[in-house]
Order: sequence, then structure tokens, then C-alpha cells
Amino acid sequence: MGIFANLTTGLRSLLGDGRVEREMDEELRGFLESSAEQKVCAGMTPEQAVRAARVEMGSANSVKHRIRSAGWETAIENLCQDLHYSLRMLAKSPVFTLVAVGSLALGIGANTAIFSLMDVVMLRSLPVEDPGRLVLFGQGRMVGSTGGLPNGSSELFSYPFYRSFSEKNEIFSGVAAIDSVEFGTHGSIADAGREMMRASLVSGSYFSVLGVNPERGRLLNEADDKTPGSGAVAVASYAWWQRHGSDPSAINKAVHIEGHDYTIVGVAPQGFFGTTVGESPDFWIPLSMEKEISPGWNGITDKWFQSLYLVARLKPGATAVQAAANTNLVFKQYIRGEYLGQSPSPKDLADLQQAHVELTSAARGLSRLRVEFSLPLEILIAIAGLVLLIACANLANLLLARSAARSREFAMRMAIGATRSRIVRQLLTESFVLALAGAAVGIALAWKASHLLLTMASSGPQVAAMNVSPDLRVLAFTLLLTVFTAFLFGMAPAIRATRLDLNGSLKQSRGAAKPSSRFSLSRGLIVVQIALSLVLLAAASLFLRSLVNLTRVDTGFDRQNVLVLGLDEYSAGLPLDARLVNLQKQIEGRVQALPGVHAASFSMFTFNQGMWSDDISVQGIPRTSDNSHDALFNVIGKDFFSTMSLPIVAGRGFDSTDKIDSPKVAVINQTMAKMLFPESSPIGHRFGFGDDPSHSADFEIVGVVKNARYVGLQEDPQAVAYFPYSQRVQYFGNFAVRYSGEAAQMIPAIQRAIAEVNPNIPIASTSTLAEQVDESTATQRLIARLSAFFGLLAVFLVCIGIYGLLSYAVARRTSEIGVRMTLGAKRSNVRWLILREVLVLAAIGIVLGVPVALEGNHLVAKAALRAQSGRSSEHDRGRRDADCDRDPGRIFAGTPSFAG
Amino acid sequence: MAQKSGDVVQGTLEMLILKTLALEQMHGYGVALRIEQVSNGVFRVNPGSLLPALARMERGGRVKSEWRSTENNRRAKYYMLTAAGRKALKDETNAWGRQTAAISRILEA
Repeated sequence: MGIFANLTTGLRSLLGDGRVEREMDEELRGFLESSAEQKVCAGMTPEQAVRAARVEMGSANSVKHRIRSAGWETAIENLCQDLHYSLRMLAKSPVFTLVAVGSLALGIGANTAIFSLMDVVMLRSLPVEDPGRLVLFGQGRMVGSTGGLPNGSSELFSYPFYRSFSEKNEIFSGVAAIDSVEFGTHGSIADAGREMMRASLVSGSYFSVLGVNPERGRLLNEADDKTPGSGAVAVASYAWWQRHGSDPSAINKAVHIEGHDYTIVGVAPQGFFGTTVGESPDFWIPLSMEKEISPGWNGITDKWFQSLYLVARLKPGATAVQAAANTNLVFKQYIRGEYLGQSPSPKDLADLQQAHVELTSAARGLSRLRVEFSLPLEILIAIAGLVLLIACANLANLLLARSAARSREFAMRMAIGATRSRIVRQLLTESFVLALAGAAVGIALAWKASHLLLTMASSGPQVAAMNVSPDLRVLAFTLLLTVFTAFLFGMAPAIRATRLDLNGSLKQSRGAAKPSSRFSLSRGLIVVQIALSLVLLAAASLFLRSLVNLTRVDTGFDRQNVLVLGLDEYSAGLPLDARLVNLQKQIEGRVQALPGVHAASFSMFTFNQGMWSDDISVQGIPRTSDNSHDALFNVIGKDFFSTMSLPIVAGRGFDSTDKIDSPKVAVINQTMAKMLFPESSPIGHRFGFGDDPSHSADFEIVGVVKNARYVGLQEDPQAVAYFPYSQRVQYFGNFAVRYSGEAAQMIPAIQRAIAEVNPNIPIASTSTLAEQVDESTATQRLIARLSAFFGLLAVFLVCIGIYGLLSYAVARRTSEIGVRMTLGAKRSNVRWLILREVLVLAAIGIVLGVPVALEGNHLVAKAALRAQSGRSSEHDRGRRDADCDRDPGRIFAGTPSFAG
Repeated sequence: MAQKSGDVVQGTLEMLILKTLALEQMHGYGVALRIEQVSNGVFRVNPGSLLPALARMERGGRVKSEWRSTENNRRAKYYMLTAAGRKALKDETNAWGRQTAAISRILEA
């Protein structure tokens, strides 16, 4: 038979064409008749002959089945039969189906949701050409700017270095620079109203190095980035373009940002979100416009202003090792030549020794989220995996009980000719149907859950801009997971179910209560479930405990009744001089005059918003290892301390006598006072930034204020110095207001008061200090909540499992219980008989679970510690953030985090 | 009936069927009968093995079939060899010859 004939015969029998079946019957009948005739010829009576012929052939159905299995169509036919039968069996026991699909959906859904987050944060490659050839200079952990001489692993680089390196480099086919800060700002198109816009400043080489092609128009090129102020163009993101109706005429329109017009020259391709995971700028603007976008920054010409990430593409054939050697050589030469001058000090030379660039892969983009979330996500997926295991064990148990109840059915089917493998296949099909149904519901859950997770995990009102909807990769993961689970919970019951003593099973309507191995398997599963759920509960309690500890941490300031408004002051269009200070004072004054407002103040930081830190030296005190720690700084209004309810413990706070031309003053906190002046009063002493003795008298200490948390709840007490904004002019994002009464009524009143002073200052965000404190523990909160949820889910599943096991056991032992009671056993005896079994199982589960839980907690605690020490070293490096002599100028509204 | 008869040696059924059909085309029972007779009743082919084997070989293109009347005026499905079947028979006969010769040598050694 040719392939074509094979195909048509197969299709015909598949489509239920009776002819194939009829022909088979006819052939069999013919065979029987011929056989019988032959036997008659050999001397049998016709009856004997027919009987003998039938005995020889055996079950006609079985023969037909085997004939049919010669063709390919049987496999499909069997599958359809199995599917059909499975659906019927499942529909017959809706409660079982519901429990099974429900628990699988939760298990698979949780894993899918967490995996899709993991995929985005940790695994997915950038949507650019050959991302594997891209390298990042440093690890991309810091945001902002650093000012000092590079003296370690460099993370941020200056624009002059980028230029010089691009020219000298021989190992990369291209180098691109990206401003580490994504600027949140307000802008408008043509006559439309102002809207929040996020802009990323990039070098002209950015798109060509990444190998990205425009969706519309053109992307940025070197000409846009030639001379400072010359490249007033912008490339829109696809998402922004889509939000504006995918209007082709958007190109060549001007977008007005902070007093400048930028011509939109093109649209980036769909799915391209830049190079930092978790950010997705609306516009890419050439770095040549840095000063226009951010007036305080003059990084284009200043080699001390290091604020750029560098991403480069390896030349074909170049290895990462060659690239690292080459890069470091050029880097050191540059520092030696440009930074150190003719006669470098020994310290400078020591710094140069330490300075280096670590090349890391940029294939997956830059991501502080990756650093922050890797461990929590790993913990969560481990927890979700355990829950899925419990769900599988549970299901295996339910299936075992079911297959015991169906043993007569299986025995019957095997007796009339079904092979064992056929029944195993059918049972596995049932498992797959369950698993697939669970997966389908699970994916639907995950769709919602991954967004919820992202919102819960994001600290701050701004949800990290990421596409976390499950994509094909995630679906493939889920499919694999589903197949795996189906085998896991389906295989053992299917094999057990078909290991039958046919005669026995057929004769007994219900198996006697003999302690079968099947029963001990399900007991074992229950024990495992109890142990696993114990582990999950222990982990959940650990996370909850650490969260509770965090919420009890004394922040120093009073977090209640303080509003924190994000103002976009730059929109007022004032320069950085006394006029700006005046405006700020007016706003503070006007708001403080409102009924219900106790105090109001601008500040560089409130809490958990990043940091500004540097070395300090104190006049007249030689530097030792005890007093040369870095300090954190904050620039504030004169009523900041009363707004935050921080009492002055010595000296004075700031007042209106601290003017731009009066002596520079500072207030330090208790920790700094103790660190620098353990014996005496710090009032009247002087200090300065850096290790240069000529600057050590720059600021006079006029007061000591109570300690308050600065970066986070987990930090150790830090030395902090405060400066009045009247002596350090800058734009602020934060405006904090202490009030009494209803916040909802307060906000519009404050808004009106600000508009009365200057109508051009938009409020980008409103939150409260208490919310900021809560948001600083978003990750811990997420883990605690989810682990508690999963722990309870596990307990719930185990309860279902125990209930299923017991009801099955009791049903099996009905007659035994009857006999016992007839013989005089009391109800309580029987109850104890059953309960004892559960208690024994629970006891074994606990005995097994406790050591595992303890060990697990130990591991988690160790991992958490490691993560923390990782973070603190990050802070060490972060302290070089933002140099003293170079004001960051302004903190942009909507850019919540300023340091790594 | 011969009491010592049994199933054919494993793996040789298809070869025996091919050989039987090589002489003349016949229906399923004819094949079974012929094998039993020629082997003097040593091999007895069960319809439960024969018919699936024929179906398999038909799908594999080694035999083809045709409905025809028998000598008793009944309709029966007659099987005949195809070119592929003839070639398969030759190959399998050769292979079998080599194997039995080898086995004999071992047994006689």
C-alpha cells in the first residue's frame, strides 16, 4: 500500500467510515467459517468445529483491536477515545475535578506568575541585535553622579571619558553612553496640555551600537550629539506613540520640555524599552542637551562629573577577556593623564592602583531590579514550587483513592482484552486533562497575578514599567511544568491501579480492608505533605516576624500626619539664585499659614529616596580610622525639623538669619556628633567635604538634632549633616507638610496655596511619609504576604488530602467497623481507631518536617544576610554619589530613587 | 490435531507469510492452513497474530489485497506479494539462512 493509500485508509477509518470496520468483520467471519469447515473435514461435528474455531481465535474484538493498531490512525483514535472517556469520568465526579483543577491552577498559576516576573527581571534578553555581544562597563548598580577620583570598580563615567574612549578604543565596534538617571519631567506637544514625560539622555551612537531600527522616521545619530546644546531632537518610544494614536504626523512635531523644543525625528520599534529593565522612557534625547534638560548638570565638559553608563559592542572575534584588558589599559591611561596632573600625591597613585573597570554582560540590559529582586524571586519560586509539589502529592492521593474505587472497572476492561499499557495510557490521559485544565486556569490567574505582584513589589507610587504578561517563553515553561506535574501525580496511581489480581478484583464488590501497599503509598504522601507544609509555615512565620520587626523600627521622625508632595519646581522657570530661594520661602510661608498646617518645608530627601554622601574632614582634628567615615547630607528648609518632629538636642536649628552671604552653617545628628566629638560639644566646630585640609573650615556646626533614618529601616545609625537651602540653592522635588485633620481636604488647599504663589508649578505626586516608610519595605512585605498565603494554601491542601484519605479508609473499613461494633466496641473506640491513624501520620510529618524547616530557615537567614551585606557594600560605593562641589542641581519630580 | 504444535519462532511470522504468498495469492485462512500443513503441524498460526500481521504488512506495502470469490463462492480477501514484498522475502530468507547456519555451527561445535 502506498503512502497515499495508507493515508486514505487511515483517514477513512478515523472518520468513522464503516467500510473498514465491515471488511474487517467479514474477513474474520470468513476465517472462522473456513476454519470450521476444515475441522468438519477432519471429523468434528459442526458444533464442535465452530466452537473449536472460536476458541482458537479468541476474542474477536481483541483481534480486531490488534489489526487496527497496525495503522497510524489508531494512535489518534485511542487518544480521542481516551480524551472522551476522561472527560466523561471527570464530569461524573465534579467535586473531585473541581478540587483537582483548583489546586493545580493555584500551583501552576503561582509558579507561572512568579516565573514571568523572573523572566522579565532576570532572564530575558534585550530586544536588540545580537545582545550577547553587548558589554556594560561596571555592574550598573548606581544611579546619579560621582565626583571623586575613581578608586575602585567604576560604575559611572564622565562624558569626556566616553568621547576619548570611543576614539582610542580598538576592541569594540561601538560605544554608547546613557545617562544613569531617567528624567521624569513635564512636557507638552503643540497645543496639548502638559503631561508627565520620562526622558533618557543617550549618546548619538546609542541606537547604532544596539542595532535598533526605527519604526518611523530616524533614530539618533552622531550629528545630534556633536556640540553641547545642538541636538534638540527626540526619538519617541513606540508605547508613547501608540498612546498618542499612532499618528504618523507626530514626526516633525515639537515636544516642549522645560522651556526647550525638541523635534520628534522618529519612533523606536515596538517592544524596545531602552537598556534599563524596569524603566521605559517616552523619549530618547541626545546627551548634548544635558544642560537644557537638567540645568544643574554640566557633564558634557566636566570630567569630574561622572554620571553615565557605558555600553559597548564587541568587535566580531574579540573576546571578553581581551576587551577587559584593553578597556582597563585605556581607562588607567586616561585617569593618569587627565586627572592626576604632573605630581600626583601618593594617595592619588594608590587610588589609581585600585581604579578599574569590570566588564559585565549587557545582554539582559541594566537592572537594579535584578540585584534587588533576584533573591526574593528565588525564594518565592521555591515556595511556589513546594506548593505545587504538595498539590501534586494531594492529587496523586485522590487519584489513588479513585483508582481503588475503580478497580472493578479496570479488571473488567482488562478481562475483555484491554492491555495494561492501554489502561495506563487512559489514566495518564485523565491526569493530563486535569493538568491542562489546571494550567489553563493557572495561566489566566497568572495573567492577573503577575501585574499584582509587580505592583506589590514596586516601592513607590511608580510601578516599574515592564511587560510582565506571560509570553511564549513563559507559556513554554508552564507547559513543561504541566507535563511534569501530570506525570508526577498521574504515574504512580496509574501503575498501581493496573497492578491487579483480576479474579479477586472481579469477585469482590469492594476490596476487604487488607493493608495494601497502595494504602501505605498514600499515607507516605500525606506525611510528605504535612512535612512540606510545615516547612512553608515556618518560612512564612520567619518572613512575617522580620517584617513585624521592621515595622517596629523607630524611624526617629514621626511618620504620622505628614504629606510629601512632589513638586516640579523647574517649571516655574526661575534660575538658581536668590529668586528661587525666595519662591521656596514664599511657598513654605503660604502653606504654613493654612489652617491645620503645623509646619512645611522643602528638602532634598525625606526618607528612602536615595542619598548624597561624601568624606568629611574636621578642622583641628586629625583624621583617624574612627572619625573618617563618610557622612550623609541633606539640604532642607528651616522648618524641616519641626515638620519631621525631630527635636534639636543641642545648639539651634536653622532660621532666617542663615542667608546666602552669612557664614555657612550645618546641623549634625547625634551619631555624627558622637563620632567626631566623643568627649566635647560639637557646637562651634567646623568641618568640610573631602580630605582636603584647606576646606575643613567650610561649615560651622550650630546644632545637634535627634537621629533619624535616612536610606532605609535596616540601616545602622548613620552620620548625617543638614544644610539650609538658603545657603545651597537648588531645585527640590520634595515638599513635606505636617498637618492635622483630613489629608484629603488638605491636599487641594495646599495646591491652591502653591498656585497663588506661582501657577506654573505642577504637583507630580502626593503621598505621605507613612506611605514612604511602608514602601521602603515593599519587598519584605511582598515575601511575607505571599509566603503566608502559600503556607495557608498548603495547609488547606493538606487538609483536603487527609480528608480524602480518611473518607476512603473509612469507606473501605465499613464492614470491619460494623463487626467491631457488633462485638461491643463503643463509638469512641472506633473514633479513636480512625483518629489514631491521622495523629500518627501528623506526628511522623512533624518529626520529619521540623528539622527540614529549621535547616530551611537557617538557609534563608543566611541568604538574607548575604543579600544584606551585598547591599551595604553597595552603599559603600553609593557614598561617592553626588560630589560636594557639584550640586545635583535638582531632583526631578517622579525620579524617586537617586542613589544605588 | 497435532498435540505438539506451537507458535512460530518469534520474528519469523512475516517471513513465513511472505514465503507462502510467494507461491500463490491466497486469503488469510489459506495462509494459516498452508503454514500448518507444510510444517507438518509443528507451527500453528493463530488468527490473532496472522490477521494483524497481514494488516501490518499491507500498511507497510509488502502485500496488497483484493476481495474475490473463493472456490466455495464466498467473498474473501486475497493477499498477494508486491515487488517490495518479494525483495523483503529475499532479504529475510538470506538473513535467516545466515543465522541458522551460525546457530547450527555453534550447536555442533
